[in-house]
Amino acid sequence: MSNRLPDDYFGASVVGPRHRAEGKLNEDSWLGARGAFGTLVVVSDGMGSRREARRGAQLACRAVLDAVRSWHKAGARDLDELLVRIEPVWCSLIAPSTARDCAATCLFALAHAHGQVHVAAIGDGLALLRTRRGLEWIVGPRSGGFANETAALGHSASWTSRSFPRAGGEVVVLATDGVADDLLPERIDGFVQWLMDDFAGMAPSQRWRALQRELKDWPTPHHTDDKTLVVLTQREAVLA
Amino acid sequence: MGWAKYLEDIVSRRNGTSRVQAEIKQVAERRAPSKAAPKKTGDKAMSKLKEFTASSARPLPVLLLADVSGSMSTNGKIDALNDAVQEMLESFGGEDDSRAEIHVSVVTFGKDGAKVHQPLAPAAKVQWTRMTAAGGTPMGAAFDAATGMIEDRAQIPSRAYRPTIILVSDGQPTDEWQAPLKRLLGAERASKAARFAMGIGDDADEAMLSAFLATPEARVYRAHEARQIKQFFRWVTMSVTQRSRSANPDSVIAAEPTDLDDFNF
Repeated sequence: MSNRLPDDYFGASVVGPRHRAEGKLNEDSWLGARGAFGTLVVVSDGMGSRREARRGAQLACRAVLDAVRSWHKAGARDLDELLVRIEPVWCSLIAPSTARDCAATCLFALAHAHGQVHVAAIGDGLALLRTRRGLEWIVGPRSGGFANETAALGHSASWTSRSFPRAGGEVVVLATDGVADDLLPERIDGFVQWLMDDFAGMAPSQRWRALQRELKDWPTPHHTDDKTLVVLTQREAVLA
Repeated sequence: MGWAKYLEDIVSRRNGTSRVQAEIKQVAERRAPSKAAPKKTGDKAMSKLKEFTASSARPLPVLLLADVSGSMSTNGKIDALNDAVQEMLESFGGEDDSRAEIHVSVVTFGKDGAKVHQPLAPAAKVQWTRMTAAGGTPMGAAFDAATGMIEDRAQIPSRAYRPTIILVSDGQPTDEWQAPLKRLLGAERASKAARFAMGIGDDADEAMLSAFLATPEARVYRAHEARQIKQFFRWVTMSVTQRSRSANPDSVIAAEPTDLDDFNF
């Protein structure tokens, strides 16, 4: 077995009190995948007012994975070339449903095998990268507007994206707005450190349960939304 | 093969037990057993999360722009307005079935220009000070004050639900109001506020109040006697509390004034 440590990822998603009270299922979704392309994590939040929000979110995650695979297989390296592939894949996956019925946000991070970390998002939530030099916000905190206002796949929204060279020790945190809107921006560094200190070193199954418990017992009063939190980390970050 | 890999990862995201993750754990433990060892979470970790999250519910801001010009001192209008606002504050403050915390601010416009009579605060914590009426009707200044407050993220954070602005006036603006109203309706955040308007008496400028609402289906509530001022505020109270109790407090529920028939005033 090689001593080279691959990237790790972990995350959890829970249905929020509002959907639980309405007897609905979680309309957030997330996915982690590892392959020849590197390591990918995706989170998506189905827009609450839409009929097939849950399906839209699940297929948004799958669309990113499919697009990453074909992009990598084609030998492409430019992030923009990847981004233009995602929405058409999503539209084909949701067919015959319409983009309007399945509208969902989409945030992903790809630790590419070719040595870059790509982070991109359509819609609200949290997407940030911690490097040894500090925090880089890709999405959040909300720059304007109010809670529950967001762009989504299928609505001609443009991607917010950044690419970073891998220097080692990077940590990417992605979250849907149910988590992001209640986080204190001035404490976000501590939040990321807490995730690394208290979760990154745990056994995977124990970690998943622990993170689920945290999201279920969310401390902000009267919180309503589904909550999803995903972390992508290089093992050096854990061992540092 | 790609599909099989995909399935494996889907499983791994549910229970975190993929083969790759197990390998990572083994290597990590060989390299730094003390750091990679599982930690106990539970109460300790939960208490830590509190340090990084907001400790209050998302606010639902309500901003009242109240005309306190000299004409409001006649026919008991200012007293009726004071009583109605107090009653609204008590209703908001007593809401315990809310998904949002209703915050209220009152901006008056009269003798002293536009001034913040009640800074934005949770309704339950407001100690209401009655307004007095004198002077002109500098409504344009009140629009600018409202725009400034809503655009200020330190006062109304982005996690707040869309605000509600209530405009109450019994006369014509005495300052330049078109440009300030245009600024309010064109501002990134203030333009998204739900708006209610009440004209008191025959001198109220209905065209201007309609311009404030800026929505064809919205209508100006007319009050010809003090009792109707209270009725208007009960209507607004009902609309706001319905929002705060609703599954999505950002959806503006415009309670019909006729719903008030169900209440015994």
